[in-house]
Amino acid sequence: MDLDTLLGDPADPATLFSYARCAELDRREEFPEEICRELDRLGLPAGYVPAEYGGTLVDYPRLLDLIRTVARRDLTVAVGHAKSYLGSVSVWIAGADAQAKAVAADVIAGVPASWGLTERGHGSDLLAGEVRATRVPGGYRVTGEKWLINNATRGSLLSLLVRTDPDGGPRGFSLLLIDKRRLAGADYTCLPKVPTHGIRGADISGIALHGALVPESALIGGEGAGLEVVLKALQLTRTICAGLSLGAADQAIRQAEGFTAERRLYGRLLGEMPHVRRTLGEAHAARFVAEAVTTAAARGIHALPAEMSVISAVTKAFVPARVDELIFACGELLGTRAFLTEVHDHGVFQKLARDHRVVAIFDGNSSVNENALINQFPALARGYLSGPPDRPGLARLLDLGSAPGRPGHRGLVLASRGGCGLVQGLPDAVAGLSAPGAGRTRPPGHDLKAVEAPARELLDHCDDLHAALATCAPGPRDVPAEAFALAQRYQWCFAGAAVLQLWLANPGWRDRIWLEAALTYVLARLGSDPDRAVFDRLFDETRERA
Amino acid sequence: MSETLEKLLGDPWDPANPMNHAAVVAADERQEMFAEGERLLDEYGLNAEFVPAGLGGRLTGVDRLVRVMRSVWRRDPALGLGYGASSFIASVNVWAAGDDGQRRAFADLMLANRKIASVYHELAHGNDFARAEFAATPGPGGRLLLNGRKEVVTNLRRADSLVVFARTSAEEGSRSHSQLFVHKADLPPDRMTYLPRFPSAGMRGVQLGGVVFDDCPIPDGSVLGTPGRGIETALRSFQLTRTALPSMMAGVVDTGLRATLRFATARTLYGRNVAAIPQVRSTLAEVYADLLACDAFGTVAARALHLLPGEASVYASLVKYTVSKQLIDAMDRLSLVLGAHFYIRQGTYAVFQKLLRDLGVIGFGHAARVACLATVLPQIPQLARRSWLIAGDPPADLFRIGADLPPLDFAALRPSAAGHESLSSAVLADAASPGEPGEVAALAGLFADELVLLKRDAAALRPRDLGVDARPEALGVAARYAAVLAASSCLNVWRAGGGDPGWVVAALTRLAGRLGRGSGRLPEAVARRLFDELLDRHGENRGFDLAGLPLPG
Repeated sequence: MDLDTLLGDPADPATLFSYARCAELDRREEFPEEICRELDRLGLPAGYVPAEYGGTLVDYPRLLDLIRTVARRDLTVAVGHAKSYLGSVSVWIAGADAQAKAVAADVIAGVPASWGLTERGHGSDLLAGEVRATRVPGGYRVTGEKWLINNATRGSLLSLLVRTDPDGGPRGFSLLLIDKRRLAGADYTCLPKVPTHGIRGADISGIALHGALVPESALIGGEGAGLEVVLKALQLTRTICAGLSLGAADQAIRQAEGFTAERRLYGRLLGEMPHVRRTLGEAHAARFVAEAVTTAAARGIHALPAEMSVISAVTKAFVPARVDELIFACGELLGTRAFLTEVHDHGVFQKLARDHRVVAIFDGNSSVNENALINQFPALARGYLSGPPDRPGLARLLDLGSAPGRPGHRGLVLASRGGCGLVQGLPDAVAGLSAPGAGRTRPPGHDLKAVEAPARELLDHCDDLHAALATCAPGPRDVPAEAFALAQRYQWCFAGAAVLQLWLANPGWRDRIWLEAALTYVLARLGSDPDRAVFDRLFDETRERA
Repeated sequence: MSETLEKLLGDPWDPANPMNHAAVVAADERQEMFAEGERLLDEYGLNAEFVPAGLGGRLTGVDRLVRVMRSVWRRDPALGLGYGASSFIASVNVWAAGDDGQRRAFADLMLANRKIASVYHELAHGNDFARAEFAATPGPGGRLLLNGRKEVVTNLRRADSLVVFARTSAEEGSRSHSQLFVHKADLPPDRMTYLPRFPSAGMRGVQLGGVVFDDCPIPDGSVLGTPGRGIETALRSFQLTRTALPSMMAGVVDTGLRATLRFATARTLYGRNVAAIPQVRSTLAEVYADLLACDAFGTVAARALHLLPGEASVYASLVKYTVSKQLIDAMDRLSLVLGAHFYIRQGTYAVFQKLLRDLGVIGFGHAARVACLATVLPQIPQLARRSWLIAGDPPADLFRIGADLPPLDFAALRPSAAGHESLSSAVLADAASPGEPGEVAALAGLFADELVLLKRDAAALRPRDLGVDARPEALGVAARYAAVLAASSCLNVWRAGGGDPGWVVAALTRLAGRLGRGSGRLPEAVARRLFDELLDRHGENRGFDLAGLPLPG
């Protein structure tokens, strides 16, 4: 049985993990303890642990599906539970074998893990971190405060970024796996829960360490490797965030569709009014594009780990932002019911709208991720001229029928040398559309004619963009606002390239209308003026299936 | 005046000020109205702002009303709605349709600091109030009996009197409803049952109530105006509220921008001040430009209520449509600058998340954005034929911010402009001042081009595009037209006032982006100019609107 079935009907207030219960916990700002225990009982934590250490994580697309399934019901639960993945992932990337096995056993047993990066006053500026670890015989003494940490209080395991060189710098930080169960009471203080705009029940708090003695074996990777490990781990967690967004998008669309299908206004069903069909059709297209980007990223962890520095930054900057827009559009259809907390379906919508905004913030907001892209502009511009650096890897990423291979936890790099194969594969993919015999093997309704023109238009945008990237090489400071605009266009080109190539590589995956709608959605944002009527047809198509 | 009110409200960042942001946030956390704030507004006599001068109030011009109310919204949107706007919405029906006695009675209640609820909403019908079911029908003795339920009504429970929208005829169509002005003291208490309060995600302190009436008799003479004309009254009188409310709410983003600037100038990231990061500066400059554009359109539309009342039906709905989205987007962009500090409900910037939640009402409250487009759409073919690209020659005072206005004439407000509209064509090149700076002229030309396209598209609208079954492209014509009106407002306010064209270039660039003409991003040099001006204003503690008046603190 799939997870959703095991969790029971969310609309039934008698179900443990129900909308009603989540709404009540949100009102009381209470952590969903019992629901998380139920997820533990169903074996979800093993999904956070790679198979080589005894878990069931063999396939990131599958993990993203699990997180999406939970997030669709409730983002507070998803954020509170999946944190154990974030808290342990550094160990999968850089930990010693024995350390990884020990952490794996804890995580599988449901011991919550947490990830302590940020500090009051420094936010995303990790190099400014002040929590320090001083070498003493047998280990380190750790002093200082981490703040705005998800599960800092509940978590027993804590991957903590600490300054091991007083002078700091890129090699001046290390990651320590701190086991709170082994600390003395006087070693640390948990900081009070911080009340938040959304995910009100989540344990967003902090921890202050008072010279706690931590054994040397707690080091994850070597001393000085902390920042590098964190930056690699973020490539995975930023991808995971997209699962939270997709779950929120599912629920937002569900709410808007359910309401408009029953609501009568002006003598019509709302769902029959042309602007409503357009809005919902576009929401479907937006979600499909977000899904394509997420799928590419999740499979990229396996197939193209060396390009994840680009792919994960795009995914984290793009997917949550599109889903925030989608939520707004659905909210306009719900009107007053998107604002009242008790009138419609337990106020699920207003909760998810508040909850989801955190996804754009944590693990690096859009500026941080766009900065990461900007730093890679020279490689992206160069790479566009030479095509995908790893063609077999790209083919594996795109072939949804194949197993994606082992997760590339140890194959991540800080900056992709060859650029981004998915975007760099676009010229060939578009050229292939008009090659003799192209599309011969495609099933009915999947022929290529109708997508040639939009695909060429996408390629034109992509060509123009890369010409601009080649002349834009800002220094690390004073990055001009225009560079961010280019980074945003890059995300749209990436999204278009992902959806087109996934569709081409997987005949029968989705009907052609999905691709047409997706390209329309992308092109409209790249400055073209495509005919949006395809969204109306897409809406009708989804109705027929429902 | 707004300066007096600002002085009473004091510095919102001062920890010793009982009217500070922290107190506002604390009331929100308790889901209560901000009691200190209400006391202070009583003392100031805010209600008088809604009462025409002829009836002893201070309502002389809608632009002035907006300025005063913006101070309230800038401090606490829940006060803006729960103390102010709610009675204001009720009042316009009475000024537009009430007889002398009803107007006097309403004015007296207002001037005595009482509250009057505007009782329109039925959850089952939303914006489609032509289908409202709540009924007032003659009982056996001939007196009207109220029957039915009303929901999500601000202040329903604590109001002394109600303006109720009720069906007075079972016939379908637009002549079957009336507004009733009733005093709770005149109603038998056993015929009226309150529903539990409706909790909400934003405006948490505002008391949204509901009521069920069961054969509840009301006194004779409760109907406002001619029975059956309720929809027409609403369409006319709500021109005031649709114009004024979004414009007032710009005060919310004013505070949002101020909080973000405070954050950016106080915080260090990557070894430098956040406000020194070029992308942050661009975002803040763009939000400032958006605020000025909202103020220009809102103010011109407010002045049009006095100077061009016959055209106001067009401007009012389109101000609501355009300004509401500009403000929501602006607040969302600011939230990205604040990052995690936007998300937490404590500390210096806690007010931001409250403002963001509160601002949500601007999209659907009183009238949904798409309903505003649909209101104007049927007028568009005629407007296009009779007025677009034809020199409209609006009165010069329309654009003279702060100049005296003739009194508001409710009788001159019309449900439709009958094709007459003079603001859009004023976007065309100004023959009187051919020396307009090139960057301004280029942007103005772009909106003139848009108007040409719009005229073509309007001519192609089919009859079914003008009603409920309008294609999104048809609604798009109304939306694009709104952008041209907003641009013309900015342009002509600048032409009338002169000065550095920096802000108008910025405002027009932003509006052009909304039309898909350009990205909407400000060129580096323009952003820098505007950001410097913004910093100056922040340093001098002045409002982020066209008037730029000093604020306390």
